[in-house]
Amino acid sequence: MPQDEVYEAMSSAFEQGAPVALATVAQTLGSTPRKTGAKMLVREDGTFVGTIGGGCGEAEVWQEAMDALDDGDARMVTVDLTEPVDGEDKICGGIMRIFVERLEA
Amino acid sequence: MASSADIARALLIAARDGPAVASCTVMGATDGVEIALGAKMLVYEDNNLGEIGGGPLEAAVAEFGRRAIPKHLVQTCAFTPGGELVEGRRAIEAADAIVEILVEVVEPASTLLVVGGGHVGLAVGQLGAMLGMEVAIIDDREDYANEDRFPYEANVICGDFGEELERFPISANTYIVLVSRGHKVDELALRAVAERGAGYVGMIGSKRRTRTVLQHLAEEGIDPQALDRVFTPIGLDIGAETPEEIAVSVLGEIILVRRGGGAQPMSEHGRMLASIRR
Repeated sequence: MPQDEVYEAMSSAFEQGAPVALATVAQTLGSTPRKTGAKMLVREDGTFVGTIGGGCGEAEVWQEAMDALDDGDARMVTVDLTEPVDGEDKICGGIMRIFVERLEA
Repeated sequence: MASSADIARALLIAARDGPAVASCTVMGATDGVEIALGAKMLVYEDNNLGEIGGGPLEAAVAEFGRRAIPKHLVQTCAFTPGGELVEGRRAIEAADAIVEILVEVVEPASTLLVVGGGHVGLAVGQLGAMLGMEVAIIDDREDYANEDRFPYEANVICGDFGEELERFPISANTYIVLVSRGHKVDELALRAVAERGAGYVGMIGSKRRTRTVLQHLAEEGIDPQALDRVFTPIGLDIGAETPEEIAVSVLGEIILVRRGGGAQPMSEHGRMLASIRR
């Protein structure tokens, strides 16, 4: 899966001296919307490029990315999509482990 | 030392223009292992950029990454801090200390060059687009080579087969499928692409017809080794009949070439059934 959009956004953020948070799917179990290596890049203003799976757990990962931009700590986030979410249709049925890190030039 | 900016630039170049690189990132480590989470090393065919702590682990990951490149691998792997690859959940759980590394090959999207815009070409292109390949379709008939015909993103080229193919850039990341209206056109097309180092060249047709085409080209002096590498008749033997089924068979073969594999049913039952039918 080509990731040039993510790398392009990363390069241009670094050129401006801005940090980014990068979320990368490290491992998947069962049925998940995206596979290992899928990426989402989050900028300080909360805008993002790329996807790690649309609705399924993405909001949660986005929040972790914003936190990582804040505290600088790399972390592994486990998104469990096997539990139905109340009133929402987001059941994908798998588990994703997502590595979230802050990067700067 | 390579900065994050150097790494980002290198990844962007690899994703846009190549050559391919295996990007290796430390994603986890058991408590007590001294290694920086997020450390990155880019492994190229003949050198590395960045580091993940040196020592035998870094050497082992570099070796693993180098071997991952031709397989287009994207995989999280477990190593001991001493650089031994640990495979299987049980072995990983039993190990005293583990470092988790994501190894992902970053490279430009591969190109699927479809020669012939007929029913089979249409379906092959569609499936290729679905698989994330950059699809180009060539035909010399406007009815079969116009944007409206292809309900997916494709570079549709209408023109003389020989001229257009000679102009078309071909690399090891180009997969070529010859499914034109007849073996005369396929022969002309194969002449134009056979010796240019494509990752895959497949040509449709019966055994008899394709043998004739290969014979003609051999007599003309086309490199016999290049002709030996042509996948013809094209595709995996799955009994495909319709254009769409043929597309599955062809793209199945292309995935097999890219990733490797046994091209057999996974299950015992499936293998038994396949051997009975054969």
